[in-house]
Amino acid sequence: MSTITFDPETLESLQQQKSTRPWRKKPNRFTASVTLAVVIPALIVSALYLTSDIPVPILLVVIYLPLQLIASGIAAWATKGTRGIADSVIIVNAIGASLFSVIVLVSIIGSLIVRGLRAVSPHFLFQNSVYISPSTPLDYGGIGHSLVGTLLIVFIASLISVPIGIATAVYITEVRGRAVPYVRFFVQAMSGVPSVVAGLFILTIVVATGAFNQSAFAGGLAYAILMLPTVARTAEEVLKLVPDDLRTGALALGSTRARTVLRVVIPAARTGIITAIILGVARVIGETAPLLLAAGNNDQTVVNPFGSPISSVPTYIFNNVALPYPDAVARAWGSALVLIILVAILFTLARIIGRGRVGR
Amino acid sequence: MSTAEFEDVMDLDIEGVEASTAHPAGPTEMESRDVSVWFGQRKVLEGVNIAFPKNTVTALIGPSGCGKSTFIRTLNRLHELIPGAALAGSVLYEGKDIYDAAVDPVHIRLQIGMVFQKPNPFPSMTIRGNVLSGLKLSGMKRANHDDIVEETLTAAGLWNEVKDRLGNAAGDLSGGQQQRLVIARALAVQPHVLLMDEPCSALDPASTLKIEETIRELSKEVTIIIVTHNMQQAVRVSDYTAFFLSEEGTPGHVVEQGATTEIFGNPQEQRTLDYVNGRFG
Repeated sequence: MSTITFDPETLESLQQQKSTRPWRKKPNRFTASVTLAVVIPALIVSALYLTSDIPVPILLVVIYLPLQLIASGIAAWATKGTRGIADSVIIVNAIGASLFSVIVLVSIIGSLIVRGLRAVSPHFLFQNSVYISPSTPLDYGGIGHSLVGTLLIVFIASLISVPIGIATAVYITEVRGRAVPYVRFFVQAMSGVPSVVAGLFILTIVVATGAFNQSAFAGGLAYAILMLPTVARTAEEVLKLVPDDLRTGALALGSTRARTVLRVVIPAARTGIITAIILGVARVIGETAPLLLAAGNNDQTVVNPFGSPISSVPTYIFNNVALPYPDAVARAWGSALVLIILVAILFTLARIIGRGRVGR
Repeated sequence: MSTAEFEDVMDLDIEGVEASTAHPAGPTEMESRDVSVWFGQRKVLEGVNIAFPKNTVTALIGPSGCGKSTFIRTLNRLHELIPGAALAGSVLYEGKDIYDAAVDPVHIRLQIGMVFQKPNPFPSMTIRGNVLSGLKLSGMKRANHDDIVEETLTAAGLWNEVKDRLGNAAGDLSGGQQQRLVIARALAVQPHVLLMDEPCSALDPASTLKIEETIRELSKEVTIIIVTHNMQQAVRVSDYTAFFLSEEGTPGHVVEQGATTEIFGNPQEQRTLDYVNGRFG
């Protein structure tokens, strides 16, 4: 075996090598035309914005986007020839579409903050609305009762729909029984049930029959109907991703099918299953119609899931947003802001739980 | 191939076995009798008769697609999990047919362990958890879990590398370590037979060598049946060899079997000679 040796001079020049990214270097005319393609449309649109009354969305979609497409197309043609044009069209559209969704999200959160932030305060989170009328100033009252209601209803809905949803997914992917196509079809059909229909259904068979009052339980049942297909379908997808090697591996160790599913397959898909639950909660947490029908409304804080009608954040928003009192409207927007923060907190918690790794 | 020709081959097989009397076999632990296998309408294996003497290593060799892996999976009833799978003949374990209606496949798989081509440790468990997973999954009760972990990991040649990090995730190990972990996992339930389906095909030479040492060591107490594409490996680890072949779309069958020294040193069949010398397959 021979060793490679360098003479001292080569060695020194090797040690002085700097890391570079040659593929990033572009001829100057590239840089120039790309800069022009970025700056010119932006300048034109800024000028129009300052001098005319064209609404911003129209300005962006009808004027800026086509202008940017043309400018990038010309720049691409100038630098890479005709084959560059298709590239530039795809890139501009992709960037535009991603920007668009970011803008939508940012403006939703922005409008919530602008209109609702003045209603949010510590007592807004913890007090209920007893003795509070729509004209009461923001110094009094809050949505504590609605937050408790929403959490209780979502908890009950999860308690019902998560086990059933996961069991359905296990039937489809693990048991692989004869009814799989039918089960899959019904789950799919169920995801198309409008939320108001779920509410009406529970109102008819649970509340109107006198079995239960309008309550957190009845509201939870309505939510469960809406959550179930989302949980089941997402769980099915993640269970399918678990390699068959693990199933045969467990069976080869003398495991029963039930133990294989409970101790190997589901733990291996844990993160995905938590995602399935998150998606289910996200699907329902803002639904208003089912709760107007099945859970009712209340100004007091209710913790008994069966006793009496209960408030929730969506129904609180619904009841306040259209009132002719600025403070009531501000409360509604404030509640919407709190609801979105609540969802963010739930998601973060679920992610943290789901990330927990084995060992250590 | 005609039936007559086939019987011809079978005769040669039997001669092959007789030729191996220089290596006296112990009592038979497992035996396949006229095992034929179908996937749907397609017959993939025909009339496989092999006896596996207790505490020996038998290598199953042959080109890809000749049904070796399929055959080994009939020995612990994993074959039946594939939709459309069918089988004829019988597989005897300690003299009893494992396909008897009264036999619980879970019970069979507990005594006939298996190691797969691709290491498949359970990702949701720690190294220690993986070793003990067979006990949990099968509901088997064994005392002194710490001892079991040390014994089986030592037997699999992994103990020294992992003894200080038994609580780490199994996924942190290298491929070769994972495969030895899976072997330890299979040993923890104390199987009488260990099936190995190309256990080294995804491993580097050093890991392969370690696993081969492990196999030789284990064969003092366990009957091992190993599928391998590596001729040198078959020679190094096995006492007996069966050569499988599937010619021109015919179902796979055993061309020749017997003591490994005979199959590699003095094969009776031209096709065996060609295969073990790397002239086809």
